[in-house]
Amino acid sequence: MDSFRKIDIDAFDEDVLLETELYDADPRDPAQVLDDAKAKAAAVRSSLSKGDIPGALTAVLDGAPYGPNVDEAKTLALQTLVTILNSTKSSDVSNIVKSLSQDQQDTLMKYIYKGMAMPGWGDVSGSVLLGWHEKLTEAAGIGCIVRTMTDRRIV
Amino acid sequence: MSNTLRPYLSAVRSTLTAALTLENFSSQVVERHNKPEVEVGGSKEVLLNPLTISRNENERVLIESSVNSIRLSIKIKQADEIERILCHKFARFMMQRAESFIVLRRKPVPGYDISFLITNGHTETMLKHKIVDFIIHFMEEVDKEISEMKLSLNARARVVAESYLTTIILETGSFFMYPTSIIN
Amino acid sequence: MSAPEVHALGTTPITSHAFNGDRSQVAVSLNSNDVTIYSRQGKEWNVTDTLSEHDKLITSIDWAPNSNRIVTSSQDRNAYVWQETQDPQTGKMVWKPTLVLLRVNRAATFVRWSPNEDKFAVATGARAIAICSYDEENNWWVSRHLKKPIRSTVLSIDWHPNNVLLAAGSADMKARVFSAYIKDVDSRPPPSVWGERLPFNTVCGEYSSPSGGWVHAVGFSPTGDVLAFASHDSTVSIVYPSGPVIYTIKLNSLPYVTLTWTAEDSLVAAGHDCQPIVFSGSAGGWQLVGTLDDTSTSKSNGGTRGFGVAGSQVGRLNSAAFHTFRQADSRGSSSPTSAAGSGATDTELLTVHQNTITSIRPFSGSAEKVDQVSTTGVDGRLAIWDVNNVAELTGKMGALRLH
Repeated sequence: MDSFRKIDIDAFDEDVLLETELYDADPRDPAQVLDDAKAKAAAVRSSLSKGDIPGALTAVLDGAPYGPNVDEAKTLALQTLVTILNSTKSSDVSNIVKSLSQDQQDTLMKYIYKGMAMPGWGDVSGSVLLGWHEKLTEAAGIGCIVRTMTDRRIV
Repeated sequence: MSNTLRPYLSAVRSTLTAALTLENFSSQVVERHNKPEVEVGGSKEVLLNPLTISRNENERVLIESSVNSIRLSIKIKQADEIERILCHKFARFMMQRAESFIVLRRKPVPGYDISFLITNGHTETMLKHKIVDFIIHFMEEVDKEISEMKLSLNARARVVAESYLTTIILETGSFFMYPTSIIN
Repeated sequence: MSAPEVHALGTTPITSHAFNGDRSQVAVSLNSNDVTIYSRQGKEWNVTDTLSEHDKLITSIDWAPNSNRIVTSSQDRNAYVWQETQDPQTGKMVWKPTLVLLRVNRAATFVRWSPNEDKFAVATGARAIAICSYDEENNWWVSRHLKKPIRSTVLSIDWHPNNVLLAAGSADMKARVFSAYIKDVDSRPPPSVWGERLPFNTVCGEYSSPSGGWVHAVGFSPTGDVLAFASHDSTVSIVYPSGPVIYTIKLNSLPYVTLTWTAEDSLVAAGHDCQPIVFSGSAGGWQLVGTLDDTSTSKSNGGTRGFGVAGSQVGRLNSAAFHTFRQADSRGSSSPTSAAGSGATDTELLTVHQNTITSIRPFSGSAEKVDQVSTTGVDGRLAIWDVNNVAELTGKMGALRLH
């Protein structure tokens, strides 16, 4: 009889914006995204063996998977990226970061924060990520960090 | 490990500067109300993505931001049982006096040791870069305080134990053998 | 005339400001429920009037230059139109308020008179924009709502020069152009790049920045053919609707919350960075040009800038500076150890405004070529800038150290 008191009236409000409506969804199909991620992982491994760090980074940062339903692809992309970050010499980091485009810098910043949110996972190393964060902030400015906060396309 | 302290603090500083872009925002849910949106969490579009800055598993800072407020939670390094107790007591001491701190939150966010809530009212009356300086200074000082407290605790415990046990050793007779086993 | 004119109107934040037609008076809201009107007397601005009617914080003020009416909006869901009339008893000119029935149940966040001053638009938190026009028969202001497809609080609006189209930026990350055509008030507008035959509440365009972010400020260019908006992801986007072509300029600095066009090919934006920045471009592309706040010239707080900037001014082998940075590296302490340095250096920013700039308006010149702009901010200062005095944007931000 008085169950109406327990209703959360705001949950029934039709006009409320849902999380998923806040950004444009990834137009690619989830299975395709996963295939892309695996292909990129292979490409990155070969670039790393040749010592081509900027090429490897560009491959992983362009077309990064985001949004729901693509968790496996996201994990794979993160693992690939962490491998690249760990294998770069700290003296080269600043130059590499400056050579990236603005969109790539924004995506890299998103991955750095994602890595820091999972401190014990895989090969994630706090000191490596912090070093990259510092160099990236110097090159891309605070605007890059603001974009990581506002962009709902979570990698 | 201390060579990551500087990049850690500079990462927190730059993330905090980016997050402290607050403005007055009247509630969309209740008329004539003005609430910190990060605490209410009702309207998803005015909240921003939370960011974590971590040095290792034991030291993390979580920054959750919204249009008119930010919540910053710190997990302080606690290496052993003594440090855990000291940290808990120290944080509790400060949180009970949160009124005078102004920006401190009375309860930490679950999973962290201490939390700050900074609203647009605070950034209007205080300078933003000074608020950021204060938080960074706080993070540096807390670690030092806890180490100092641990050292003084150990020193006091040693003094107490020595003075107590020397009186027992001086007692003649059957108590002579007993205390030596306690000392070791 | 090249250095900005700065007036400290108080220590409380200025939420909004509006000059009258001849710039002899300015109405400001000092983070309170009242409007304070300052009049220029020589070089100073002095308080001449206080308009109190609102119950809660006044969010926005606009002064119609030709009809000399002030409209104010507040978080108490009301808007008032103030008219200067002669008080029968004292004979002085006083401001008489008229309540506007907005019929919204959330705060009003922004208000602007239309170019012909016969209507005004109020942005509200009720996910609607109230377009108010004067009903002669009943002698009051009536409102019509623009609702669909707005999904969140509307943060800012701007009128198109043809008095019918309205741009609105809101917290649902979109900037939209609506038609606010009211049958009895407006005559049919000529077709423009935004469309033709536009009944009330038609959406002529919906734009957003790819990385999201609440749209804090919108503005039509002087001819009305181009739309610019600034959003919270530190971008400024310029939209040419005929493509539609959108140029999104991603910035390294903190987001902008207000902007104004100074000519058909240039605009000035300001916000959390505390300095006005000039952008210029055309249908081919847009870029950042520079800042109006020249931080490289030494200000009156002379020798206190030493440790704020990363050691480039102080001699590199100066042992005190060397010691400071060695300490910073090994112990992570970022403030200088000298007692004199840490006290005086850190409190003042190098920019004119010490806190976020919340409002920028054209001050002098025509709509097609603005010569000066006025800004007010959270630090309680009003500054008037010469638009042509553009300086190179350097990385020096004084106390906003990023290292």
